[in-house]
Amino acid sequence: MKRFAFIGLGMVVGFIAALGVLPAAHGANDMGAYRQLDLFSDAFERVRANYVRPVDDSELINAAIEGMVSSLDPHSSYMDAKAFADMQIQTKGSFGGIGIEVTMENGLVKVISPIDDTPAAKAGLKAGDYIAAINGVAVQGLDLNAAIDKMRGPEGSKITLTILRTTDKALAKKPFDVTLTRAVVAVDQVRWHREGDVGYIRMPGFNETTASGLESAVRELKRQIGPGIKGYVLDLRNNPGGLLDQAVQVSSDFLTAGEVVSTRGRHAEDTQRYDAHGGDITGGKPVVVLVNGGTASASEIVAGALQDHRRATILGMTSFGKGSVQTIIPLGEGGGALRLTTARYYTPSGHSIQAQGIVPDIAVAEGDEEDIPRIARPSEADLPGHLANGDAATHHPSAPIIRPPSSGAKPADFQLSYALDLLHGKIAGYPVKSAQAN
Amino acid sequence: MRGLSLVAIGALAGFGLAAAVTHFAYGANLAGLRTENELARFGLAFERVRDNYLSQPEDRRLVESAINGMLTNLDAHSSYFDPDAFAAMQTKAAGAYGGIGVVISERDGAAKVVSVVDSMPASKAGIMPGDELVAIDGIPMQGHSLDDVSARMRGTVGTAVKVTVARAAIKPFELELTRDAIEVERLTYRREGDVGYIKIVAFSDRTEPDLRAAVSALRRQIGPSLKGYVVDLRNNGGGVLQASIDVCDDFLDSGEIVSVRGRSAQDVERYDAHPGDITGGKPLVVLINGGTASASEIVAGALQDHHRATILGSLSFGKGSVQTVMPLDNGAGGALHMTTARYYTPSGRSIQVTGIIPDILVSGGPGAPEYEREVELPHHLEAEGPPAKAMGMPIVPAAGHSYLDFQLSMALEFLHKTLAVGGTAPKHA
Repeated sequence: MKRFAFIGLGMVVGFIAALGVLPAAHGANDMGAYRQLDLFSDAFERVRANYVRPVDDSELINAAIEGMVSSLDPHSSYMDAKAFADMQIQTKGSFGGIGIEVTMENGLVKVISPIDDTPAAKAGLKAGDYIAAINGVAVQGLDLNAAIDKMRGPEGSKITLTILRTTDKALAKKPFDVTLTRAVVAVDQVRWHREGDVGYIRMPGFNETTASGLESAVRELKRQIGPGIKGYVLDLRNNPGGLLDQAVQVSSDFLTAGEVVSTRGRHAEDTQRYDAHGGDITGGKPVVVLVNGGTASASEIVAGALQDHRRATILGMTSFGKGSVQTIIPLGEGGGALRLTTARYYTPSGHSIQAQGIVPDIAVAEGDEEDIPRIARPSEADLPGHLANGDAATHHPSAPIIRPPSSGAKPADFQLSYALDLLHGKIAGYPVKSAQAN
Repeated sequence: MRGLSLVAIGALAGFGLAAAVTHFAYGANLAGLRTENELARFGLAFERVRDNYLSQPEDRRLVESAINGMLTNLDAHSSYFDPDAFAAMQTKAAGAYGGIGVVISERDGAAKVVSVVDSMPASKAGIMPGDELVAIDGIPMQGHSLDDVSARMRGTVGTAVKVTVARAAIKPFELELTRDAIEVERLTYRREGDVGYIKIVAFSDRTEPDLRAAVSALRRQIGPSLKGYVVDLRNNGGGVLQASIDVCDDFLDSGEIVSVRGRSAQDVERYDAHPGDITGGKPLVVLINGGTASASEIVAGALQDHHRATILGSLSFGKGSVQTVMPLDNGAGGALHMTTARYYTPSGRSIQVTGIIPDILVSGGPGAPEYEREVELPHHLEAEGPPAKAMGMPIVPAAGHSYLDFQLSMALEFLHKTLAVGGTAPKHA
């Protein structure tokens, strides 16, 4: 859902990662730190006293913290209290609301689409509807976030929307009221369907519901397709990442043993290794993982682990290349939180994917897009100082990129249709990776 | 969750550290307590970053970035000069300074090269318009203000500066350049038939003496048939406030030139004209466009309000604020470059955002650049007073005619009274 895109590209969150990074630098260094803080409070005082108009203290401090943190690297930032609350919703994977994707148009809130099985869908809200008022208060003059805040609320509470449906001539000039009861609305849920004898599973992100969503998807697909199931396609395209522990669990669900990923912080003792546990829920069936330039962070952990273990065939285009872990550090009640880069992660073979990305086993394009050389992306390739990729090894796709036919019928989703052909053994020269083959 | 213990430890350390530096500054009132809490919150964030970031950050860098973030968030013209940048700025003020010869502007927090100056180090090294200056001397410039980026490129002539350049689709590369003397652009003048043309590119200490010299030279060259003067302030981004006041004074006999008002009501400084008009009251046309800003807008505004000049051209930039440089720790801690006041034209209007609307609107002609104006800058200071009156349609070149400088041509026609507009007749003292 686009309106929650504040998380930005690829965040691996983990309160766990902060652990072990205990304050080590106290002592000699602290006198310098005091002097620096003195300098800061001097600057703060000058601004408070002399700026052309009075400024709110918290606004100044928020800007200072944001300036400090965002100077570190492109993935470190500060979230004020509001952004922090939004992030928690994203992480949790659900919120109390009515279930619509919205945008702002002509000063009114416009419904992009109602989400299936939510109060909005059940009440018959349609794509293209305008919301003119919320509980009798006009929307005109509110910004989108304020309107969204008014529509969210605890499960079970009631809300009345005034709807203008210009798509229906009879109603075009007659706004009408709809009363809905808010419910729990899921965000970025795992979606799945059967593609003949193959199970297709799409993961839009990694939140607290992702691994359990995968597990129930596999269970359902097995039941629907039966013992003839050929394998699975795990679609991680445009998945910007999310929670680290969910990425570990998802990888683990396809592996029987071995390391999934390791994270290394500033000090040697910060290294954390995550291993597969609990067994392969697919019973070792072949897996194809779809990736592209929008596959980042937690998604790359999954693709990297399954590639290094030769458990899945990675198909698509080179992934984004974000090999760093951010930890959320709250700054006390109402104080917002830091999203701070605290570690890098390494795939089981010991590679950092920072700035390199996961190079697919089979390079298949969706159209005429090029594999962007990561090095040309200043945001990743040129992170300040220590975030440069420490690996000497560089991966280069050796085979040419397979592209959809330029003439004739092109499948709606070429990468997916290539993955299905692969699972059906229609592609010569590529034995499909399955657990049995190892 | 084990992570929680860290939060607790860090919190104590953070508050301790921050309290130590702030407690002296405030009484026991509630507002002071809030301020202290806010400073403590910063101290906590600082501690967390220091202790947990992937690599050991430099304390100094953290605080400089914080001060810079605080300042740049205030408005588009406030920024922080770190000690090096501040030192470079002082060198500039002392006169002897060098640079690499690029004109830059900001795009999405990055410094982009707009143009390069011929036969200066940047153009010799192959830096091109469109290039992004990613780092200066190895320090990433993302999020730094333009003033800061320029200040870092400047320095003593003959010293070296390393510039990291990013260009579309190729790997960023570093160039080492030797700074060369930057010509402080001085006023130029020439005769346009029986009209004196004077171009002021920027306002510096030399501007007013140069103006006097230009006027007396033009008087001598043209003689008693001199019709008037065109003062060209197009693309003049401003400069020293006092220089703009002195220039106005040269054309005015009396009255207010500009007033500068700070935060509190009693903090008002008013600047008045002294008797004496160096042109003897000849007609005056001032040319402006979207690149006319700040000190230039003070001049255009004062001469417009006093009906001393006819303002011709396109809408000016709209920067109605004054910045003050405040050294921290006697300069060892760099300096704040902060908006401390607004200025008002003699009739009491602020040109912040609204800009100076020309008496005669004349387009820049084909190929004239689109100017980014104050209103488009992120965090710009809001406008004051009533919204600007709507502007009419500008005069544009007639089809089939081409002009070397359409606005100047119209100014000359105006002084010769051959310009057919419903506009005002030349006004002069």
